[in-house]
Amino acid sequence: MFNGIAGGGAEDLPQLQSTMRAIELACSYIQINTNPAAAEATILSLHQSPQPYKACRFILENSQVASARFQAAAAIKEAAIREWSFLSTEDKGGLISFCLGYVIQHANSSDAYVFSKVSSVAAFHRYSFSRILGNDLFRIFFFWRYMYTICMLIVSVSQVSEFSPSTSSAMSLPREFHENCRKSLEQNYLKTFYSWAQDAALSVTNKIVESNSDVPEVKVCNAALRLMHQILNWEFRYSKGGTKGSINVFSDGMRSDTASSRKTECVIVQPGASWCDVLLSSSHVGWLINLYSLRQKFAFEGYWLDCPVAVSARKLIVQLCSLAGETMHRSRAASAPPSVRVLPWIDPPDVISKEIEEGRSGSEMIDGCRALLSIATVTIPVVFDRLLRSIRPFGTLTLLSLLMGEVVKVLLANSNDKETWSYEARDILLDTWTTLLASMDGSGVLFSFSNLFTNCNFTPIVASASATTDEDDADCLASVSAMDERLGSYALIARAAVDATVPFLTKLFSDRVARLHQGRGTVDPTDTLEEVYSLLLIIGHVLADEGEGETALVPDALQTHFVDVVEAGNHPVVLLSSSIVKFAEQCLDANMRSSIFSPRLMEAVIWFLARWSFTYLMLVEDCNLGSNQLQSLPSRACLFTFFNEHNQGKFVLDIIVRISLTSLMSYPGEKDLQELTCHQLLHALVRRRNICFHLLSLDSWRNLANAFANDKSLFLLNGVSQRSLAQTLVLSAYGMQSSDASNQYVKDLMAHMTSSLVDLANNSDLKNLAQQPDIIMLLCIRELRGAASATEPRTQRAIYEMGLSVMNPVLRLLEVYKHESAVIYLLLKFVVDWVDGQISYLEAHETAGVVNFCMSLLQIYSSHNIGKISLSLSSTLLNEAKTEKYKDLRALLQLLSHLCSKDMVDFSSDSIETQSTNISQVVFFGLHIITPLITLELLKYPKLCFDYFSLISHMLEVYPETLAQLNSDAFNHVLTTVDFGLHQQDVDIVTMCLRALKALASYHYKETKAGNTGLGSHAAGQTDPNGVFHEGILSRFLRTLLQFLLFEDYSTDLVSTAADALFPLILCEPNLYQGLGNELIEKQGNPNFKTRLANALQVLTTSNQLSSSLDRLNYQRFRKNLNNFLIEVRGFLKTK
Amino acid sequence: MSDEEHHFESSDAGASKTYPQQAGNIRKGGYIVIKGRPCKVVEVSTSKTGKHGHAKCHFVAIDIFTSKKLEDIVPSSHNCDVPHVNRVDYQLIDISEDGFYVSLLTDNGSTKDDLKLPTDEALLTQLKSGFEEGKDIVVSVMSAMGEEQMCALKEVSPK
Repeated sequence: MFNGIAGGGAEDLPQLQSTMRAIELACSYIQINTNPAAAEATILSLHQSPQPYKACRFILENSQVASARFQAAAAIKEAAIREWSFLSTEDKGGLISFCLGYVIQHANSSDAYVFSKVSSVAAFHRYSFSRILGNDLFRIFFFWRYMYTICMLIVSVSQVSEFSPSTSSAMSLPREFHENCRKSLEQNYLKTFYSWAQDAALSVTNKIVESNSDVPEVKVCNAALRLMHQILNWEFRYSKGGTKGSINVFSDGMRSDTASSRKTECVIVQPGASWCDVLLSSSHVGWLINLYSLRQKFAFEGYWLDCPVAVSARKLIVQLCSLAGETMHRSRAASAPPSVRVLPWIDPPDVISKEIEEGRSGSEMIDGCRALLSIATVTIPVVFDRLLRSIRPFGTLTLLSLLMGEVVKVLLANSNDKETWSYEARDILLDTWTTLLASMDGSGVLFSFSNLFTNCNFTPIVASASATTDEDDADCLASVSAMDERLGSYALIARAAVDATVPFLTKLFSDRVARLHQGRGTVDPTDTLEEVYSLLLIIGHVLADEGEGETALVPDALQTHFVDVVEAGNHPVVLLSSSIVKFAEQCLDANMRSSIFSPRLMEAVIWFLARWSFTYLMLVEDCNLGSNQLQSLPSRACLFTFFNEHNQGKFVLDIIVRISLTSLMSYPGEKDLQELTCHQLLHALVRRRNICFHLLSLDSWRNLANAFANDKSLFLLNGVSQRSLAQTLVLSAYGMQSSDASNQYVKDLMAHMTSSLVDLANNSDLKNLAQQPDIIMLLCIRELRGAASATEPRTQRAIYEMGLSVMNPVLRLLEVYKHESAVIYLLLKFVVDWVDGQISYLEAHETAGVVNFCMSLLQIYSSHNIGKISLSLSSTLLNEAKTEKYKDLRALLQLLSHLCSKDMVDFSSDSIETQSTNISQVVFFGLHIITPLITLELLKYPKLCFDYFSLISHMLEVYPETLAQLNSDAFNHVLTTVDFGLHQQDVDIVTMCLRALKALASYHYKETKAGNTGLGSHAAGQTDPNGVFHEGILSRFLRTLLQFLLFEDYSTDLVSTAADALFPLILCEPNLYQGLGNELIEKQGNPNFKTRLANALQVLTTSNQLSSSLDRLNYQRFRKNLNNFLIEVRGFLKTK
Repeated sequence: MSDEEHHFESSDAGASKTYPQQAGNIRKGGYIVIKGRPCKVVEVSTSKTGKHGHAKCHFVAIDIFTSKKLEDIVPSSHNCDVPHVNRVDYQLIDISEDGFYVSLLTDNGSTKDDLKLPTDEALLTQLKSGFEEGKDIVVSVMSAMGEEQMCALKEVSPK
């Protein structure tokens, strides 16, 4: 109906008009909501008809109905994306110039949405666009009337985000092409555009200055500024290296040098050397600043600060402050002008903040802070500080700390309403400090800067910081990590001036503690408690780093300062730490506990102790040493030795263990506290061997172990904490002298629990006994699991025996608790962890035992659950049940994967030849047991799906021969799920399925070539009793895969994996492939497409010297062929 | 006043039918008595009261018999009642003529005839059709605090 291929003349006119009317009618129907379905169908048919350009063009030019024009524009866009690859060059050119012409003609029309749609068509064709623009624009550019339009157009083109893979694949153009377009735009046009925009803005500046009110020139100026801003935002890539030989097509375009953890965005502008003249000419910067300073002129109108032009101008100024890279190296000094001009926005801080409080807009202040951040990012601290020296008596750093103090003060004053300017400014300034201080750390010339920093007065900042944490608490409970980050920034500042801050914090802390003691029982301590709480957090950040996953070092700043201290007892850090430990010790007293140590304060205490002890307690000289040249300092030595094993270390360790036992026993139900104690504090203790060694000799540790094994109150801990406690205790066995002793220790630790479990399982009345909640509570499976997950080579024996002794009880319990899903899950997870820890150490006969155990576990589980229907009426409970089932199955799949690993990693002493269990058969058998439980419904859980398919693809890749031996039911089930997986949305899962297919097909091909049966009857297909022929499995997948590749939507990343699967499939089933190809060709109506498709199919299997052997080279060639094939034909095959 | 009432009610339910357990230790998926009803916990969250107060647990639970949603807030160190929930499997031997009751075979060979059929239409037809086809059906019956109800069924394929 809408077929409007070029070539028709005037005789088409009636048809075009009828089309237009149809569309107009449909659009108006949609608007008044009569018969929307039919109207939508009409519009859709326009969108989907091949080559609707002419009709659309007609509508755009003639229709009076705006929404019809909109639909026409949308249709052009869709069709162009679809058919771009096989339009003739003239058509392309015509289309683009039409779009451009239309946009420019109708620039002043009111229907902006039509305009945006058409301009985005033009944007899509940006490759040719930039070329055309280069020629045409010169002619039209100086009509400033169009300037606004043009600028907006370029803005939309230069939006980097539009270079997304999705548009590239939709137009079936390779990424290289896009990259080349990008490159040419960047190298040839951007700078020109920039100068144009600058000229344009310059030319209208005078008019703006002269006029009094809102003239249209302001709009032009604003557009030009935005364009300049956008251009500077461009990711400059090609001008940096210069000699880079080839384009890295698949680089993701991330800048490696920007810190990603920042809260505030700060883009570094690196346009390369060639931009020097444009950007750095003083007239340019000067003009911009002058333009901005127009605010004096408009000040009386009151709107200047937030009016669009001012905002764009400010943005551009901030950007100019962050000029980096080669441009900067040419003339670093040139950065001074903009940064100095920014000054009036932020200096003097107190006056400005007052003005803002009185109602002025804070945006200028915030942009000023941003500019500071930009400058800090690209300069080293010394230069940063010097920037202001020429015009002010103090350096930039002083200004920064003044500013910070002011902002924090304002923040404290209006802490009630969030989202004020001071909030944002505070975050930006903190980032600035972090940037400055971080760059200083790395530079290694720390000493020369320390003077610089000590001159600034940090104390107010730190004081206010510790006060701010109070205010932050309320909202930061929700986002602990954000608070952590902020505290980290404060701590960095505090460390820059440790000389002042550490004694200050000590004083503050002892002051608050004294106040707590004074007011005990009489005054409400909440406020003081809160202050102590905040203080503990900030001191923790100042004294120690997080040390996540690595050995925590004593911060350099603390090591290098306090040089004149020779006696350990006087070292400020030691003083501070001791006073806190002493304070914490008081929680051991029951009275103090009830009056002072609230659960939350305890949390802070435990957190601090964890962090502190990991960094300071019992340091081993050579592993906690920072930089070597500092070793000889006496002050450092006393910091290190004070808490070591010969000095106070053991004493403090004892206190810490007792505190942790108290927090576990005396704060029932405080989950967070217990988790902190188990996960952070105790874990931090057992991480170092020398501490383990001392721990084992402590009475308090023995008490803890005893309580763990026998005390009921520790059984009542939260599950996760229980597990982690068990893990910690088992890990501490590491500190034993010999492996025998370690094993004995673990055995003693766990003996009570295993025996109680065995007793329970052997109880004759188990069935009735088991369902009592107190018995369920006391099942110590979690502890066992914790111990199992702490398996280390030294303690492996003991844990193996532990597992062995509970094997039968576990099966028994699995039977009894079949309805108690929570217990079942615990049991399964215990087995999973235990097998994971043990399997690689086991000898052949032990492996056989474990494997048998696992298989009977699977069988029992499956016999209980297959065909079971829950009758609950509540949908929540039904969903719960489904989730529980999913978790169980996932655990079972993990169990099988762990068994698989036996074939890969094996530490047993058996030689390879010994007759051992055939793991692959076992795993397939296990899969056979549990796959009936995995319904397609359950595979919708992404994690289960992932686990399942990774296991399947692993099995098929490593043991295809075992699969061939499966009976046809099991075989079919496995492959049905693979088929299901192929149609998943998740790229990973499809990839795994494709890999499985590749493995399967290449196995079959190689085997049959060697004269074996390969997959045998599975592949050959069979005739069932009714005489219906079922085609073989490989043929089925060949069909599916071709269908998938040609007609469905998928990520381009999948193409190469799909090629790897398709190639062996084609080799296995050459005849079917021929047939399918012919069928495809037949289906094409258009003779032009027919020949193209035939050629493409021909080329796919013959070009690049593709041969019929499955080696790496051939796979590579086929990948390339398939890529070209898809580019060639997918566009028109997908068009219906 | 209401406190007394509650106490009265819970003693009515019988001491042996519940078991005291600390609120902080009741986990998601566990059982709890709320307003005298045995419930399964579907959501637990702990909240801190005031800046330095003790934690409180907020339970959202579903009555295991009526499927009604109930909520409760308890200080985490206090005790809650936890119901004893028992599940027993029986073999289905008959569905009574009037269509309200089933007869079940107990472990020791006697029959149990006092259990009602599920009210849900879909489940009912499933049960009936399975029974009429002559399949062996095992029914799980859940009982707590003096009530009982069918909670799951399973077809046992004769091997």
